[in-house]
Amino acid sequence: MTQRPQQHSFNPYTENGGTILAIAGADFSVIAGDTRQSEGYSIQTRYAPKVFRLTDKAVLAVNGFAADGNMFVKKVRQRLEWYRHAHSKDMPIRAIARLIQTMLYARRFFPYYVYNILGGIEEDGTGAVYSFDPVGSYEREACRAAGAAQSLVQPFLDNQIYFKNQTPAPGTSFPQHLPLNTVLSLVIDSFTGATERHIEVGDSLEMYVVLAKESPSIQALQNISGIQEKTSTADGERIFVIRRDLKKD
Amino acid sequence: MDHFPTNWGRPRNDAYDAYGTYPIAQRPQNNPKDAFSAGVQHTQQPIVTGTSVLAIKYKDGIMMAADNLASYGSLARFKDIQRLHAVGNNTMIGAGGDMSDFQYIQNMLDELMIDEFTAQDGLALGPAEIHEYLSQVLYARRTKMNPLWNSILVGGFKDGQRFLAYVDLLGTTYSASTLATGYGSYIAQPLLRKAVEGREDVITEAEALEIIETSMRVLYYRDARSLNKFQVATITAEGAKISESKSLDTTWSFAEGIRGYGAQTQ
Amino acid sequence: MTSIGTGYDLSASTYSPDGRIFQVEYANKAVENSGTAIGLKVKDGVVLAVEKLVHSKLLVPEANRRIQTIDRHIGLATAGLLADGRHLSNRARDEASNYRETYNSAPPLKAVADRLGLYVQAYTLYSSVRPFGISTILGAVDKDGPSLFVVEPSGVFFGYNGAAVGKGRQLAKTELEKLNLAELSTREAVTEAARIIYLVHEDAKEKEFELEMSWIGTESGGVHVHVPKDLLQEAEAAAKAALENFE
Repeated sequence: MTQRPQQHSFNPYTENGGTILAIAGADFSVIAGDTRQSEGYSIQTRYAPKVFRLTDKAVLAVNGFAADGNMFVKKVRQRLEWYRHAHSKDMPIRAIARLIQTMLYARRFFPYYVYNILGGIEEDGTGAVYSFDPVGSYEREACRAAGAAQSLVQPFLDNQIYFKNQTPAPGTSFPQHLPLNTVLSLVIDSFTGATERHIEVGDSLEMYVVLAKESPSIQALQNISGIQEKTSTADGERIFVIRRDLKKD
Repeated sequence: MDHFPTNWGRPRNDAYDAYGTYPIAQRPQNNPKDAFSAGVQHTQQPIVTGTSVLAIKYKDGIMMAADNLASYGSLARFKDIQRLHAVGNNTMIGAGGDMSDFQYIQNMLDELMIDEFTAQDGLALGPAEIHEYLSQVLYARRTKMNPLWNSILVGGFKDGQRFLAYVDLLGTTYSASTLATGYGSYIAQPLLRKAVEGREDVITEAEALEIIETSMRVLYYRDARSLNKFQVATITAEGAKISESKSLDTTWSFAEGIRGYGAQTQ
Repeated sequence: MTSIGTGYDLSASTYSPDGRIFQVEYANKAVENSGTAIGLKVKDGVVLAVEKLVHSKLLVPEANRRIQTIDRHIGLATAGLLADGRHLSNRARDEASNYRETYNSAPPLKAVADRLGLYVQAYTLYSSVRPFGISTILGAVDKDGPSLFVVEPSGVFFGYNGAAVGKGRQLAKTELEKLNLAELSTREAVTEAARIIYLVHEDAKEKEFELEMSWIGTESGGVHVHVPKDLLQEAEAAAKAALENFE
């Protein structure tokens, strides 16, 4: 028998809390995340973004182990830059989704401990959300929550977006897609709710809104205070970011 | 037959640490070889360690502090170790965790700064670049399962901009107006946040020093791996400066009155 | 030279019957065709100066520098093939960095000159390589104070109080000998160095040139940097004035 003095092996992972979500509309997509970064019971910082603009029509939210998340975003952006150099255009979102799956699966046996949600506009102008597990399994959905408060937020979204456990009034049916102002309200409610019930969620909220070309949904953004445009080119998809405070306790 | 005399007459199993020493003393192994464990061995625990580093933003720049102790387990082994290190004129790093890994990092950064200087291209690495570089190095090492066992604060002042960020052995990074590593993140960080958050642009150097010293005193009272001898660094438009070692007045008379544990008989 | 046509000059690994290595001597010719470079070791520092011949008006001023920084406190100036100079300065940086890594202290100039000498000498041993077409002036202020070395294409290196290599070296040496180097301040040495470069250029008088100067001393904080613009211009003006009086 080989006896060795205690050799607790190095754990290369940690969990940095926070929550992200994305909702697709008919011609828009909303991708949001809180900005708290924590480890155990300690808040490391009140502002560490988890949502990143990749192109004018794609936004990526990452949640899990922050160091892996930041490195993963950095590598995805590098691949997108190479694609731009090779093809003189931005990579379409369905291709970004497959790229992310390939990059995640490449690390199948030492995974990026990160849950990814990719939101944006498809080439046909529809709003899209792709969600991934840490090793690359992915699907296109209408909405998805991930992270510390996934178990609180996802059921709420299922109920409010997919109308699960609701029955339509006789002679009516539920809408396929919700309007942008309704979606933004749902996102804010999701995060205020998660902040209330989960210690790892809070501080502030960042919501990215991606609009399809000439989308009429722009109306819904007209009177939003503190909204900031992040679009880099004219006459294409447009990206906006909306920031809101969350409770800091 | 065990050919290592140091093992003779001693228990075969050292995994049980009867005397509570730490790290557990290693004697030569004379057991059958485990073919797999004979491969590359990496740092799996820190040996000589430093405790907390504190840092805050204030009106003129960044103020940092770290004590002069390097511990060997619970033994206060080295009492004149500097844990703050200037990297160029605009950046200061301070480290907790394994001190040999920190010294390796200091040498690595010094070499990097010379490489950049000899290029004579009129560019110099600032605090943001040094923090990014450190993050990439520490993350790469954790990914190789061979970490540099430190928590590091990077403070800086360049082109009128303050910079303050954290990076650790996992490659985790973040930035805030007050930061503390190790035990300080539990004890000092709440005090620092209360004193600094929202007042970053009004706190004077004297006030900043007061905040830092108060926190260092509390840490000395509460952290058994700390020392009442520490250095304070400032990074401002005037450059990166580290103070001489200093100590604070402390009061221990209250200890006499404590009852319920300890050595008293009544 | 008697070497032409004898066949003994084709390789650095072949001696001539009278014990010379012609390839090394040709390398020295490459140095002689180059603009002059000088080094002054004075009381509290070292000054390096180079007469950089500008072969085209289209060149960007200050481009193609011939003075390099090797370590915080070490500078290097070359005369000869520009590309060889850059190669050797990269090697010198590696050697200085290696010394630091091994001994955790700033390399003394002698150690760097020694290692560079060995490196340059290795290029005189093989038929597959050519010797370096440069003479190198190394200057530093190290733990023993100011020091100055010259490494030649053969690999030999000597320490100097004042050094000159390249086309105008003879006249430059005569001028250096007139100076009381041990009593000069670094700032005064800058003026003298500028004057000497302007003086030796007068003889050549064929091309435009740019004066490139660096220093290491108390005034530069013990660090090797190019001389500040205003001081350089001041020294150039003084040099031009001195030249007119000279004639």
